[in-house]
Amino acid sequence: MAELKLQHLDKIYDNKVQAVYDFNLDVKDGELIVLVGPSGCGKSTTLRMVAGLEDISNGHLLLDGKDITQAPAKDRDMAMVFQNYALYGHMTIYENMAFSLTLRKEDPNVIHKKVLAAAEILDLTAQLNKKPNQLSGGQRQRVAMGRAIVRNPKVFLFDEPLSNLDAKLRSATRREILLLHKRLQATILYVTHDQTEALTLADRIVCMSMGHVQQIGTPLELYDRPNNTFVATFIGLPPMNMFDTVFEDGVLKGKGFSAELTPEQQSLLAPYARKKIILGVRPEDIAEGGSLEIRVGNNENLGMNTLVHGTVGEGIHITAKLRGWSDNKVGDLVPVHFNRMHFFDPETTNAIRKEAE
Amino acid sequence: MNEEYTRLDRMRYTKNTSSSRLAILAIVFDVLFFISLYKSDVGNYYYTILIGASIIYNLVFLLATFLASEGVKGYQRNYTWLLLALACGQIVRIFIYPVQGHAAKVSGAAVIGDGQFIFMIICLAASAVCLVGAALINWRKSKALSDHIASLEAGNA
Repeated sequence: MAELKLQHLDKIYDNKVQAVYDFNLDVKDGELIVLVGPSGCGKSTTLRMVAGLEDISNGHLLLDGKDITQAPAKDRDMAMVFQNYALYGHMTIYENMAFSLTLRKEDPNVIHKKVLAAAEILDLTAQLNKKPNQLSGGQRQRVAMGRAIVRNPKVFLFDEPLSNLDAKLRSATRREILLLHKRLQATILYVTHDQTEALTLADRIVCMSMGHVQQIGTPLELYDRPNNTFVATFIGLPPMNMFDTVFEDGVLKGKGFSAELTPEQQSLLAPYARKKIILGVRPEDIAEGGSLEIRVGNNENLGMNTLVHGTVGEGIHITAKLRGWSDNKVGDLVPVHFNRMHFFDPETTNAIRKEAE
Repeated sequence: MNEEYTRLDRMRYTKNTSSSRLAILAIVFDVLFFISLYKSDVGNYYYTILIGASIIYNLVFLLATFLASEGVKGYQRNYTWLLLALACGQIVRIFIYPVQGHAAKVSGAAVIGDGQFIFMIICLAASAVCLVGAALINWRKSKALSDHIASLEAGNA
């Protein structure tokens, strides 16, 4: 059992710069939580506070109900995997994986069994006598994970572990982490700035910006029902299109274009009559056929889909992900309609949705 | 996995540090020996071809012992013979400079005094003991490891 509670965590540095504001999170046993956000949003700082590598300025950290806010890193029973692997170059893979246990003066036979078991899980058995510089980036990252596994910690902490890998290897290692999580059923806190990693790995995602938590939820919740414009544009690739519009006469009027609304949407937006509303439309929620016209800027053919970058109305930029291979030329007009729309209050940037949602 | 199997299997991934460290300790004793030998300055007693040979042998000994200490780390059985040969060399050396120098007199005094004589013999003997120890441990471990690997290859894991 490893339940982690982060209660009202703040991080204020000596120079009064605040990196994390009132961070609250309950991590259930065996849950994989991904902290995602742009560089400098405080996600790594939060992870380092959990690991004990940074002091917690305010708030409490509880592991299985025990307050470990002031506990030193070595007593927290957590293992951290770093972006740069942090392997010892002069040691073999076996020695690297055994190192933390050797320091604890555990029985060498016990260490051996743990290292072999971890190597088996990570498919590293054939590499145990090699040095780190003889391995690929993905294998090195697996060694770093192995070093964490042999400790059998209560919580695994991953700090952007895939950032040093190329795209193909990143995808493969991501799948391995997912399989590892399913196999170990371990509680994992995982930091990344890559929203694809977050969406594919997480049981729940914590989306952060400027030290504040923007939304906590399942990947689908963040994708489908973003709390605000930040989450809406950060989650999803290509990002959600955002249009400044005004709600008038039952339609949303933008610069040179308008979007028809269903009766439900009209009633939802009724309090905003003649007021500004930010309209959000995901590129994949745009389909061919309809009254709107995209003037094509350029096409990116992806095989099954085509990304059409262009403009609508008075030169408002839009990206649409249309089905199939498209041979549109620059300047062509492509009729489209919006399958799904998101609405945001321009003052608060929060999503406008029914109270029940 | 029983304890004995684990102990043997561990050798597949760990170095033979006990043999290696004993070989390095043999080098340390040898260094103490030649520091003691070369610091003596008794007229022109040492200006012979023998001292030249001694210096060259010391260099060869240091290099060969270090090479053997690295070799035994990987359980290479052939280095056992090299270590034993070097141990024999250390025993033989006892009967060259310490004994001859102790027996030689310059202006009525022994070239190597009693205290220095005993110290040099202890150094060479200790060096030889370390080398023999390193050789025996390496022989035993390398044999155990090769038997274990043969057993694994035979599918007895």
